[in-house]
Amino acid sequence: MTILIDRTTRVLVQGITGNQGRFDTKLALAYGVDIVAGVTPGRGGEQVEGVPVFDTVARAVAETGANAATLYVPVRGIREAVCEAVEAGIKVVLATTENVPRHDAVGAAAYARRHGAWLVGFNTNGIISPGQCKLGGIGGDDPAAVYHPGRIGVVSRSGGMSAEIAWALKRAGRGVSTVVSMGGDRTTGRSMVEYLELFDADPATDAMVIYGEPGTRHEQGVADAIAAGRITKPVVAIVVGEFQERYGAGVSFGHVAAMIAGVDDTATAKRRILADAGAHVVGGLDAIAVTLDRAGV
Amino acid sequence: MRLTEDHAKAFLGSRGLPVPAGARAASPGEAEALALKLGGRVVVKALVPTGRRGKAGAVRICADPAAASEAATAMIGCDVAGHTVEAVYVEAAVPIARELYLSFAFADRAPVVLASLEGGVDIEETAGRAPSAIARHEIDPLDGLAPWHGVDLWARAGMTGRPLAALGRLASELYAAFVAADGLMLELNPIALDAEGKPHLVGAMLEVDDDALDRQPAFKALAAGLPAKNPREQAVIDANRSHPGGDSRYTELDGDIGLLVAGGGAGLLQHDMILAMGGRPANHSDMSPAPGTAKLEAVLGSILSNPRTRSLLIGYNYLQMAPCDLVIQALVNVVRAKGIDTTRLPIVIRLYGPREAEARALAATLPGTEYLPFGAPLEEGCRRIVARTRELAR
Repeated sequence: MTILIDRTTRVLVQGITGNQGRFDTKLALAYGVDIVAGVTPGRGGEQVEGVPVFDTVARAVAETGANAATLYVPVRGIREAVCEAVEAGIKVVLATTENVPRHDAVGAAAYARRHGAWLVGFNTNGIISPGQCKLGGIGGDDPAAVYHPGRIGVVSRSGGMSAEIAWALKRAGRGVSTVVSMGGDRTTGRSMVEYLELFDADPATDAMVIYGEPGTRHEQGVADAIAAGRITKPVVAIVVGEFQERYGAGVSFGHVAAMIAGVDDTATAKRRILADAGAHVVGGLDAIAVTLDRAGV
Repeated sequence: MRLTEDHAKAFLGSRGLPVPAGARAASPGEAEALALKLGGRVVVKALVPTGRRGKAGAVRICADPAAASEAATAMIGCDVAGHTVEAVYVEAAVPIARELYLSFAFADRAPVVLASLEGGVDIEETAGRAPSAIARHEIDPLDGLAPWHGVDLWARAGMTGRPLAALGRLASELYAAFVAADGLMLELNPIALDAEGKPHLVGAMLEVDDDALDRQPAFKALAAGLPAKNPREQAVIDANRSHPGGDSRYTELDGDIGLLVAGGGAGLLQHDMILAMGGRPANHSDMSPAPGTAKLEAVLGSILSNPRTRSLLIGYNYLQMAPCDLVIQALVNVVRAKGIDTTRLPIVIRLYGPREAEARALAATLPGTEYLPFGAPLEEGCRRIVARTRELAR
């Protein structure tokens, strides 16, 4: 088992006829992902890499039984695209789009949640259960180079750091059950702790690694769940962006989310909150595997 | 983008919300004329995009037009919280019986509204002293804020009696304005109740979502009129505007190590590690995938034009999609265009993924450049650039 996606997942790609959608679809098919449909309004009846294209998600689902969707949709249409997928009954919706206006982001997240769907993103490069399935460009043309199958779950606010963490685990002789780039935008469909709860219930996962940045209350939620006993498996945490505290409030350093908004959401505060709750806070990537060894995982 | 009070109030007024009459004045003479037009008794406020102006002496109640002129003379040209005052806002004074507080902002996944009967003071102060004086309501964006939600909110804040119905409706209308403006933050402090219990929006601050400016042409035009940044930061912003793909970012700092880092997270981690090793970055940057080399060249051009830059780290996370040689091609282009001697400006590269062999061959054309062997961790790039920069000092 894994979380959210596995070898039975039937994937639909919204925006499959665009450059990114087409390119990622080709790579995902080569990895063995079961991509059953594409959707682009007005392009129904065409094929992309042998995948049939439909005009609407509802038609694609009716014809192919797709149950997960990857969205390559520009900012101006992303809220509607998420809602269309959810309304058609898709239960896992991955939105790669970044810098989504806040009002659109919270609207799409609320809509997905209300209908029992799981929105991954915004600003994610994907989710992968190595050897079984992946949504999004995660892993590129050679996912196996970095993502080795195993028993560690990873939740990361950064796509690049998902790769670095999985690669560090692989070099240490370990593998991953599922790796989730949960999204780097300030608003994400689900919170970090919700992913950890899935991993905690997953018999194929022994421990989790989380990667966090300044801004948001994700780590506070994780700490609360550990302290309350809702997360029982070991959690190794890496939180970066401490340097921002030296430069004062209000200076943006890239990621939309990584903006100092208050004392409690700095990297330093997050590390303290997590450590106090019982998470294993580490300062670098190589320390992750060492810490798992010490924790008896 | 944070709007100044004149623009925030013009927007709210255009939606029929109860904003006192007022306008911008760029000189004492204009302030005096406005005060006369507004009936004599006015409030003069420094037009700077920040709160807490009262404490800084940047808000004055003026009994007559001559006093308004004096207040404008005192404020224009002054510095308030790091902003130079270029104009003042002159507004008809509202007879205030009571001051309230209301604000809209975002939690991670929902808009949040805060209300308090203690208006006219910092909400942080109230939160520290008497947190129970603030009522909070998380808004479901699919349902919005109905007038009865607003009534419930104010009732929980302690409001009773006649003003309750009007305040509930006002909160609902203000939320609609917050949504229409693509606001990230809308703070009404204070909302003044007059002797009849009628609300007036005396203090108003609005921050608009930069990511939504494409559908907010009026606010976008205001953003275009903001003063230019440091020319090297501006060059990166200009490149983002004129080329497709993900935005790149560049922020200058006071150290000497140039940073070309990508993927958000890996950049944050490397910046932390460089500081911990005793290095000082000259900038921070963040590259999102984009076609071509234009944005890479803009950021590299800015890094290498910064007079503080004495070395360069190109530190990427393991690339999963983008080709490595694109990055190094941009580097070679900028180094050649600027005639930089790479034996005197150390460059360390940590870059793996698609087309890595081609990238290594290109980097080999820049003498003295150090391309880390495949598999070296992010930390190694940081260690090398700190060491190489330190050697320069000797």
